[in-house]
Amino acid sequence: MLRKTFKLVIPVLIVTAIIIGLFAGIQNNLTASASTKKAIEIKFFSNLPDRTSNQGKLEQMLIDSYMKANPNVKIKVEALQDEPYKQKFKVYVATNQMPDIFMVWGQPSFFMPVMKGGYAAEIKPDQIKDYGFKTSSLKDFMYNGKIYGLPRNTDFMVLYYNKGLFNKYNVKVPTTFAELLNAAKVFRSKGIAPIAINGKDKWILAILYQELVVKESGDQKLIYDAISKKSVSKNQILLKAAKDLVDLVNVGGFQDAFVAADYGAANNLFAQEKAAMYYMGSWEVGMAANPNFSESFKKNVDATYFPIISGGKGKKTDILAWHGGGYAVSASSKVKNEAMKLLLYMMHPTRWAKIGWQQGLVVPGQNWEKFMTGKETVLQKKLTQIFSSATSVSGTVWQDAFTPNFKTEAETLCQMLVAKAITPEKFLAKIEELAKLEVK
Amino acid sequence: MHRVLSDKKSILLLVLPGLLIYTFAILFPIILSVYLGMTDWSGIGKPNFIGFENFKKIIFTDTTFWKSLRNAILLALAYVFIQHPIALAFAIFIDKVGGKAEKIFRTIFFIPCVIPVVVTSRMWVSLYDPQYGLINKILDFLHLGFLKQQWLGDTRTALISVIIICMWQGFGWALLIYYAGLKGIPEELYEAAKIDGATGVKLYTKITVPLLQPVIKVNFTIAIIYALKQMETVYLTTNGGPGDASQFLANYLYIRAFNSYQYGYANAISVLFVIACLAVNILFQKIFKSENYEF
Repeated sequence: MLRKTFKLVIPVLIVTAIIIGLFAGIQNNLTASASTKKAIEIKFFSNLPDRTSNQGKLEQMLIDSYMKANPNVKIKVEALQDEPYKQKFKVYVATNQMPDIFMVWGQPSFFMPVMKGGYAAEIKPDQIKDYGFKTSSLKDFMYNGKIYGLPRNTDFMVLYYNKGLFNKYNVKVPTTFAELLNAAKVFRSKGIAPIAINGKDKWILAILYQELVVKESGDQKLIYDAISKKSVSKNQILLKAAKDLVDLVNVGGFQDAFVAADYGAANNLFAQEKAAMYYMGSWEVGMAANPNFSESFKKNVDATYFPIISGGKGKKTDILAWHGGGYAVSASSKVKNEAMKLLLYMMHPTRWAKIGWQQGLVVPGQNWEKFMTGKETVLQKKLTQIFSSATSVSGTVWQDAFTPNFKTEAETLCQMLVAKAITPEKFLAKIEELAKLEVK
Repeated sequence: MHRVLSDKKSILLLVLPGLLIYTFAILFPIILSVYLGMTDWSGIGKPNFIGFENFKKIIFTDTTFWKSLRNAILLALAYVFIQHPIALAFAIFIDKVGGKAEKIFRTIFFIPCVIPVVVTSRMWVSLYDPQYGLINKILDFLHLGFLKQQWLGDTRTALISVIIICMWQGFGWALLIYYAGLKGIPEELYEAAKIDGATGVKLYTKITVPLLQPVIKVNFTIAIIYALKQMETVYLTTNGGPGDASQFLANYLYIRAFNSYQYGYANAISVLFVIACLAVNILFQKIFKSENYEF
């Protein structure tokens, strides 16, 4: 008898719980729409999942302060790491469900199809009149003379390194490529990964290859011209640079299984002081102030120029620099005006540039030298010095300067080169084939 | 009732909802896919009709396509010739062991199948890590250090490493189906065979395996389909790398569609993919044509 009633009670309880849950949900919706009059919701799509450090922190800070100043606006942030971000972004584009404001990379391979397809809202020049954006930095966010996005970074490649590890093992910080190879051998023998790199995200390998090309030739335009003219396989400089890269791999210059390490894994390896160097961009300036990293690491982290190649014509001040990260507003957004207001609020020099720089979170896309306080971190000082001493810059890196398929295939070829699946000669031959296919 | 079912109009009416769902959910997307495969659509903007260009490019010049197909077939073979015999052996073992141990082992072997693919893939990536991973550490411990590899980072070992992960992940399903099949064979047959003098391995080769034919066929079919459409594990571990050493067809078409902005080309790949799957299945049915044993 007891069992029978028991058997009845459970299903009744479950059904009751479900019904109550349903009504609670409906109730919530009703009260929400009743209390807010002109509630505006802005969907913000970000590639910065870490909201506690670096640019993610800055982004969230500015979003929170905008919501405080505009209580009827609710900003919903969706944040994914780089690669998943790019893929979900394409899904949004293909299904015409663009978020209202989103992060973009100012590279032809990413932003051009978006601008061409009319997915980004136009930004009028007098809206950003006093914002301190140089025309050169807006170039990659423009199409047909109109501006469709605003840059948030000045991106340039440096070699981060751990002073503590170099001192501990009595290794000189390398200024030439030969010294780099030697340093790699010493660190390897002590069980320390020489350079942490995210080989799984193939783009870093393509950038490193371009770095070597510039250091060999001293000519920033060489690689772009070779590809545009489809004459790659006979180019001796491109061949030498490919061989240099393979030399670095052969001496064990990267951490074990670097081809399978993603961005987070490489970054962590360096931050946990298990790697002596880290080839990455200026957007990591916030490492020195990241609350999640150890005090020991923050004290030891420093940055320097990528080593020159003896016999090569490139100077240490010929750097790879461009304006990568930025923001755009969706042209089809239902809250376009509000989203544009948010964009202009965030990118005002007194906010993104000033706060971002002074808190050591970002190297802004606008001029930051007027915001310097003198209390900068070591990384900030070094990065400012490296950038301001530049004698030539590359612009958008080679793999991003053509079509999306060029980018995918070129990056895969770079990964195959470092995984020793193809020879440097085959690598160049395939790049030339790819250029013939993709470059008009 | 009979009058209703034999009236042509009412038959049509009853079948119509199902037919409509099938048309819109399956038939129509396939036709659309064939159409998009004949365009150069990038995913945004307007598609331009280019006829069979994509198909020609894929069949004659796309080495990655053929490599991915080859890898998928290798995985299917690994499932059929490695994973399934082991699964059958374990199913027989669990069946024989009986009692409480039977229930415990059943659960243990099925656990990998209920854990999400993301979790098990990440776990295996950690296991394969050359510096901190368990596999290389065990090899060191057994004084087999010379066998250590950069499992997922080396073009020679990447494919086999991914195949091993896939075999481990699907093991429980194969085991469960064989186990269920084994339970369906009556005990009397074994007793009769034992009376006739059959022992040990002969029992299994002459009675168990022949009577399991329908189960084996189903299991093989599922395994081959699963191998051909493998995408999640490779995406979560190597993404086809290094280069395209461990690339699989489904992952490759995903990359083409969403990384390279070549939606039309990816659709062409998917059409050829469907044809390849059908071909493999027909071949398989011909090879494993069997008589059904009655008992």
